[in-house]
Amino acid sequence: MFKLPKEVVDLINDPESIKIVATADEKGNPHCAVKDFFTLLEDGNLAFAEEFEGSQTNVNLVRAIWFAKNVELTVRGKDGTTYQIKGKPYKYFYTGPLFEKFYLAAREKWGPDSELAGVWVITPEEVKNETYEVRKKEEDKKHPFFRHLDRSSVRRTKIQNSKSEISN
Amino acid sequence: MDRENSELTFDQVAKKYPDFPRTILRKIDTALRGVVLTEKALERAKEEGALFSGISNKPALLFGALFRDGTWVLGLETYLQQLPCKAIRKGNPYILDVLDGKLWLLDGLPRPFAQDKNVNQSLDAHGLPTRLSARQVFPRAKGRGEPVEEIHFVPIPKYYCKKTSRGIPMSEVVNARFPSSLAITVLHCRFDQEKNLGDPAKAVTCKFCFYATPLFRRKEENYTPESLEDIYETVKEALKEEGRWTSIHLVGGSDPRGMHQNGAYPGNLPREIVKDTSNFISRDKPYEKEVEEDIKVLKTLQKYFGTEKIPVRAIASAFPREQLLRLKEAGLSAYNSHIEVWDEKLFAWICPGKAKYFGRQYWIDSILSAVEIFGRGNVSTQLVAGAELAEPYGFKTIEEALESNLECADFFARNGAYTTFCILWVGQGSVFYAEKQKLPPLEYYVKLAKGFNEIRKKYKLNVGFQDYRRWSNFLDTDLARIDHA
Ligand code: SF4
Repeated sequence: MFKLPKEVVDLINDPESIKIVATADEKGNPHCAVKDFFTLLEDGNLAFAEEFEGSQTNVNLVRAIWFAKNVELTVRGKDGTTYQIKGKPYKYFYTGPLFEKFYLAAREKWGPDSELAGVWVITPEEVKNETYEVRKKEEDKKHPFFRHLDRSSVRRTKIQNSKSEISN
Repeated sequence: MDRENSELTFDQVAKKYPDFPRTILRKIDTALRGVVLTEKALERAKEEGALFSGISNKPALLFGALFRDGTWVLGLETYLQQLPCKAIRKGNPYILDVLDGKLWLLDGLPRPFAQDKNVNQSLDAHGLPTRLSARQVFPRAKGRGEPVEEIHFVPIPKYYCKKTSRGIPMSEVVNARFPSSLAITVLHCRFDQEKNLGDPAKAVTCKFCFYATPLFRRKEENYTPESLEDIYETVKEALKEEGRWTSIHLVGGSDPRGMHQNGAYPGNLPREIVKDTSNFISRDKPYEKEVEEDIKVLKTLQKYFGTEKIPVRAIASAFPREQLLRLKEAGLSAYNSHIEVWDEKLFAWICPGKAKYFGRQYWIDSILSAVEIFGRGNVSTQLVAGAELAEPYGFKTIEEALESNLECADFFARNGAYTTFCILWVGQGSVFYAEKQKLPPLEYYVKLAKGFNEIRKKYKLNVGFQDYRRWSNFLDTDLARIDHA
């Protein structure tokens, strides 16, 4: 199975990082949802809690597991480090130890009237670093002419001059 | 399409209906062919807490299993609580085995498993040849079958190991069904009391039914304050397992006894009088005994939940309006009464008890009254799909059967009630089992599921208590999972 790099694993395990699940409906319309409970399982799969049976995310995930469609997970740390993980829904749990663990965590966070429909397990197939600086370097290398001319990397001297003009 | 002619294989059906989810197709096929566990799989069930051996003099019970997407695996009935150990299936059963540490459903011939004690015993339950004759009957097979679906077990509820304060095993008081539901057997079906044993033609039990056999008889004729307290304690204990339960269902057969001519209910009369159904049959208050017992249980549950309306559905007989109103007052949220077979002549032939007490129109009228009382979408009925094809009087072609069932679904949906269907299961103890009735083709159920789901969408009806995890027998309600948003 595809193995996620350590940096991504740390980001997933960081409770303060933001996690977004992107799915598509029958017609291909995208849908994104922020998820609170997200974890990496021992077997290398990712698991996250889905609150509502009737949410657009849940419905799209059911369709994805039925018809082998991909979903995308984005994780962004406090410092802006961002990864995008492409994968396929592998399992959906609504009973058993994994579900119970998530359910109790949701109860603790949201109180006794909280709802949790199930836990989705996603098998990662591909990961991409989407951190701004990393992507910029990649794009500059791949498409050197797709840049604005007033970027400092294009007009380095001029910008340094103008800076010194201002400071003078 | 002729019944016998050109039945498509699993792969052919999958290819013909690419928009039909594979796991639901597999669910139908497991129901038709059955599933047999290897010793390794049984061992795994034990390790994962899915096997319950707390009931004395009965073999260990498997709680159940799910496909990857959470769809319930059918075909395991011979391992499940209280169900008959023999059934008529179609072809070879699937084998459930452990491969590379995971549980897999294998599609292949059972011969490579001839040495497996459990497979061997289960083949017998499927009416298939066991080890001794397997060599002659099953052709030589390479390997152990193709792994077709990964599945996982559902753990036994935690309350199953407990007893009530008066020492009754809680597993016998409230029965856990499917992954997320609790079922309370309110009463035993009375239709078998009129059964003329040995002459299936005269029986008034529904011909596909084995629930009406003495095996399923409730020990007590009536709920007492003590047995209601058992229910209270058991539900309380069950709900300690957080996140496990999503609905409660009152189940049982039919008890047409109404009020006795002297004004007393069966529960207050001597046994000899109670035994004779004819003492109680009155069109004024038919099924009163059943309603009385339902109300006792509902009030017990109301006390537990502390609310007027409680998350309970009754799967019950057809009740007149006044009785339905009393059930609503007692907190009932949803009502389900099974019409079983839509065609008028076949209804009378297959469900003689329902036809006698008090006919098809009476059952239809009751369902329609229930919609006025419980609201659109909170009332449903069920068909046993495949029964209408039974020989010799059933439909001769799949198309006729399909047309009749879809007509039923459309009629009720137009009137605010939802129709579901279950796959015909020919279990030991039923008239159909004795008659060696056959199961319909896989494709028939695909067409039905798609048709019923379209009707549900057309009339914008909710699946409510009967979705894939609350009452997992069905196929059309499984399909509804992608329409919830
Ligand atoms: S299916 Fe018919 S015979 Fe069986 S329990 Fe129900 S009413 Fe009784």
